[in-house]
Amino acid sequence: MISNHITAPSHMQGGTRRAGVMTDVHRRFLQLLMTHGVLEEWDVRRLQKHCYRVHDRTAAVEELEDFINNINSVLESLYIEIKKGATEDDGRPVYALVNLATTSVSKMASDFAENELDLFRKALELIIDSETGFASSTNILNLVDQLKGKKMRKKEAEQVLQKFVQNKWLIEKEGEFTLHSRAILEMEQYIRETYPDAVKICNICHSLLIQGQSCETCGIRMHLPCVAKYFQSNSEPRCPHCNDYWPHEIPEVFDPEKEREASTSKANRKSLRSRQH
Amino acid sequence: MLQKPESGALPILRAEGEKDGGRDGETQALAASQEAASPLLQETPGEHLGARREEGPAEPALAPRGARTLAAKASARRRAYRRLDRTVAELVQFLLVKDKKKSPITRSEMVKYVIGDQKDLSPEIIARAAEHLRHVFGFELKQLGRKQHTYILINKLKPLEEEEEEEDLGGGGPRLGLLIMILGLIYMKGNSARETQVWEMLRRLGVRPSKYHFLFGYPKRLIMEDFVQQRYLSYRQVPHSNPPECEFSWGPRSNLEISKMKVLGFVAKLHKKEPQHWPVQYREALADEADRARAKARAEASMRARARARARATETAGISPW
Repeated sequence: MISNHITAPSHMQGGTRRAGVMTDVHRRFLQLLMTHGVLEEWDVRRLQKHCYRVHDRTAAVEELEDFINNINSVLESLYIEIKKGATEDDGRPVYALVNLATTSVSKMASDFAENELDLFRKALELIIDSETGFASSTNILNLVDQLKGKKMRKKEAEQVLQKFVQNKWLIEKEGEFTLHSRAILEMEQYIRETYPDAVKICNICHSLLIQGQSCETCGIRMHLPCVAKYFQSNSEPRCPHCNDYWPHEIPEVFDPEKEREASTSKANRKSLRSRQH
Repeated sequence: MLQKPESGALPILRAEGEKDGGRDGETQALAASQEAASPLLQETPGEHLGARREEGPAEPALAPRGARTLAAKASARRRAYRRLDRTVAELVQFLLVKDKKKSPITRSEMVKYVIGDQKDLSPEIIARAAEHLRHVFGFELKQLGRKQHTYILINKLKPLEEEEEEEDLGGGGPRLGLLIMILGLIYMKGNSARETQVWEMLRRLGVRPSKYHFLFGYPKRLIMEDFVQQRYLSYRQVPHSNPPECEFSWGPRSNLEISKMKVLGFVAKLHKKEPQHWPVQYREALADEADRARAKARAEASMRARARARARATETAGISPW
């Protein structure tokens, strides 16, 4: 029989998935993760426990990594996944639900107008081109006349930028804007494809780099948390590429335990928020 | 339960127009030469082979040329399946993002922005997307009214109990409270309330239409635009009213996401009474509960029947369309 040579692909076979099992625990987790866009790891753990409490009190809470891998195996056929990343300034682990392949669909369905999307695009380009990973409000607003779509005034553009901050696409520090970890997680692929020459890559983890430190001799760059891990307990930090003395302050490795203590005692967290280059 | 309006979809940056079948910059390895959209359910006249319409046993000894053309056919079919998979996945994402704004989605929007030239397969694409939404996310793709091809997503997960509420990071919001107040008023007034009555009630709560409120923003915009557009409320002019007056009633989304009994319970709590205190509304709510139970039983029965049919179809091995 000829048909023996041609088997339908596995997705055709109704319920015989290798993929993980979806229960209401997983569904609520996904719904809430989608609602928030991006969540820090401690929030994700709380969220996971909440979903178990609501839908399956008696079950043991699965180890987070396995829990997420399980869900990702089901999401694979939808070309989306729960991706883990880290904040660029102090290495806090974050999670977001991201598309694996960028298509035009999201743009059509998004709730930003054409001129707002173009403003974001302009800000993104300035951020990528910058040395520090930050673009000043002034420079962004000066491009308002070049936007596609309906004409936007500078005052309005300021509010749109705030909207991006509220929705966790941009971070603002002292009048300057950089990408939120959510944007980096969601758009890394798109950014690397669209700006292959301007894009900066971390020498340690080889991921997209927006903020970081750079070697003054050979120019390689590293994320602050990558620097922290690489030079941990190294009294004489040297550039991994050219071996020259590394001139910047070495940040501390992110420690979730210290994090919890600090927030409960309301002490000021020591964090390197200054940009270093 | 009623979902609070969410914001913040992805500001995606692709400067592309409507879907035209050409897909630029995709990272999936789709074959460069896409098959023209042809219904997968039949052998297509567009393929290079001869005219055989049905798969079946050919001559026992396959000539090499026969094997090659069969392989080409199979590879073409695989490409078509993959392309279909992609479209279904895109439709799922499209629906999720659109639903975040709570605006209903029309079938023509789905075709225009996602399905494109695979239009002939729309029913199957939509059905598969709906199945993914149900299985993976716990959403039901609901058609609003039989004639209109307009859809919304309903959350099928069980609503949270009170003690679970505060832990839910998503959480309801003050806007929901405002909506329920209005739904309550409408219900107690016999399923429709004059616009003036609604604003009178809100005024007593310190909410004025055009005065910025720290919880609701601009109430007039929230109620007249957002809630109406999201189909939580329906708004129309009262026929033959002079001077012309307008009235609110429950929108289709409210009917799907909350029940009369629940709203009556809320009103009762507000007044520190039992629902039975209002016998007319209580009887109506009971009848509504019975209707819902019947509809649910019917839906479950048909879903079981569909699942059985699907299982039977995949058991008959070989080339099956789905």
